Amino acid sequence: MPENKAKESSAILEIRGLSKSFGENHVLKDISLSVKPGNVVSIIGPSGSGKSTLLRCASFLETAGGGDILYDGMYAVKEGVYASRNDLNRFRTLFGMVFQNFNLFPHYSVMKNICEPPVLHGRDREEVREKAEELLKKMGLEGKENAYPCQLSGGQQQRVAIARALALDPEILYFDEPTSALDPELTGEVLKVIRQLADDHMTMVVVTHEMPFARAVSNHVVFMDRGFIVEEGHPEEVFGNPQKDRTKQFLTNYKQ
Amino acid sequence: MSLMTMILKMSEGLGKTCAIFFLTLLFSLPLGMIVALLRMSRNKIVSAVTRFVITVLRGTPLMLQLLAVTYGPYYLFRVNVSRNKLIPVVIAFAINYAAYFAEIYRGGIESIPVGQYEAATVLGYSRLQTFMRIILPQVVKRIMPSVTNEVVTLVKDTSIAFTVSYQEMFTIGKQIANSQTSFLPFIVAGVFYYLFNLIVDRVMGRIEKSLDYYK
Repeated sequence: MPENKAKESSAILEIRGLSKSFGENHVLKDISLSVKPGNVVSIIGPSGSGKSTLLRCASFLETAGGGDILYDGMYAVKEGVYASRNDLNRFRTLFGMVFQNFNLFPHYSVMKNICEPPVLHGRDREEVREKAEELLKKMGLEGKENAYPCQLSGGQQQRVAIARALALDPEILYFDEPTSALDPELTGEVLKVIRQLADDHMTMVVVTHEMPFARAVSNHVVFMDRGFIVEEGHPEEVFGNPQKDRTKQFLTNYKQ
Repeated sequence: MSLMTMILKMSEGLGKTCAIFFLTLLFSLPLGMIVALLRMSRNKIVSAVTRFVITVLRGTPLMLQLLAVTYGPYYLFRVNVSRNKLIPVVIAFAINYAAYFAEIYRGGIESIPVGQYEAATVLGYSRLQTFMRIILPQVVKRIMPSVTNEVVTLVKDTSIAFTVSYQEMFTIGKQIANSQTSFLPFIVAGVFYYLFNLIVDRVMGRIEKSLDYYK
């Protein structure tokens, strides 16, 4: 890991002054966010507000234009400059990502989807397998070890994707609209699993349109609009007593 | 000449027909992948040059390319044309088919959703691991029908080797047709190609089926 340790910080993820633009379109403007161990942060806001881009920057899927990204107090991005490829690879082991479209590997069985990444990281095959079985049980997917993704419902696929991310023991787990591709019933079963992880004090950042879920599960809510963080705080404050007009407007429209 | 003698004489050339067929596949399938990757290179010059080469190979007759590879060395450098015509034939065929396979591969690779790359990257797969383990197997499944098409065409294209008098089945048949002033050898050749492709169809169908376990 790079030597240039930042000021004492107990946050797993710390983002400071992050900006990102696609050409003339500024999708993230001066975003700062800190996620401490055991915290569940929900990011809400209208489509195109930059929520997903923020997660994708944090997971290096998009390249930020400026600002800092720190993991465990170490710079992955400093003033828009990225650490070396090797360092970034090591940072990658700290987080997991769950996608809107699951992105399971269709040619792999459920078991192989979960086990191959840690095995490629050099972990013991047997231990990985045991852990995978444990995770499948936790996800309510016992007996699905040998199924292929195409044989599973969307909700089941997403739970496999969560197990796959967890199998690498990430310190922090990102969810990019994990239920947006699912019908209400399947949404429920995926949210239940995420809720369970929150109860186990898994550190998570969840981009979501599920307001009741965000309110119930997270200890910090961030409301974004047009690339800015408009308002953030405890869910009861943001949902119960929003201060900014834009937040009020968004939450009112949502309820209708 | 009886029909039986005709068939026997022509089947003597079947070994050479098979040699063109299998050697062309052996070299063009991997070569096509290299060409596809060059074509998709981020280096604009590399990709433009590759693109141009592909248009030439696909835009001119295989027969012409075969003549160029076989006799070109003589006209250009006065090098004697080797007695073994199999080498220039396979070179011309392999390069020509590689151009077609390259475009099939490229279509297959570009059809894989970007989410597969993203998931692999986040899960710590290297670029090579991502390509070999995640992308390529899915590409193979997707392109099988188009590859079958090319392979079937290749069976019939082996007959083009007659232009450089390589003694494969069709060349022999044409010689018999000329000497006997008979159309029968062409019918025999047609039946041979049809039977050959029946086998090709079976084999490719089986490969496709073996990849049917996922969607």
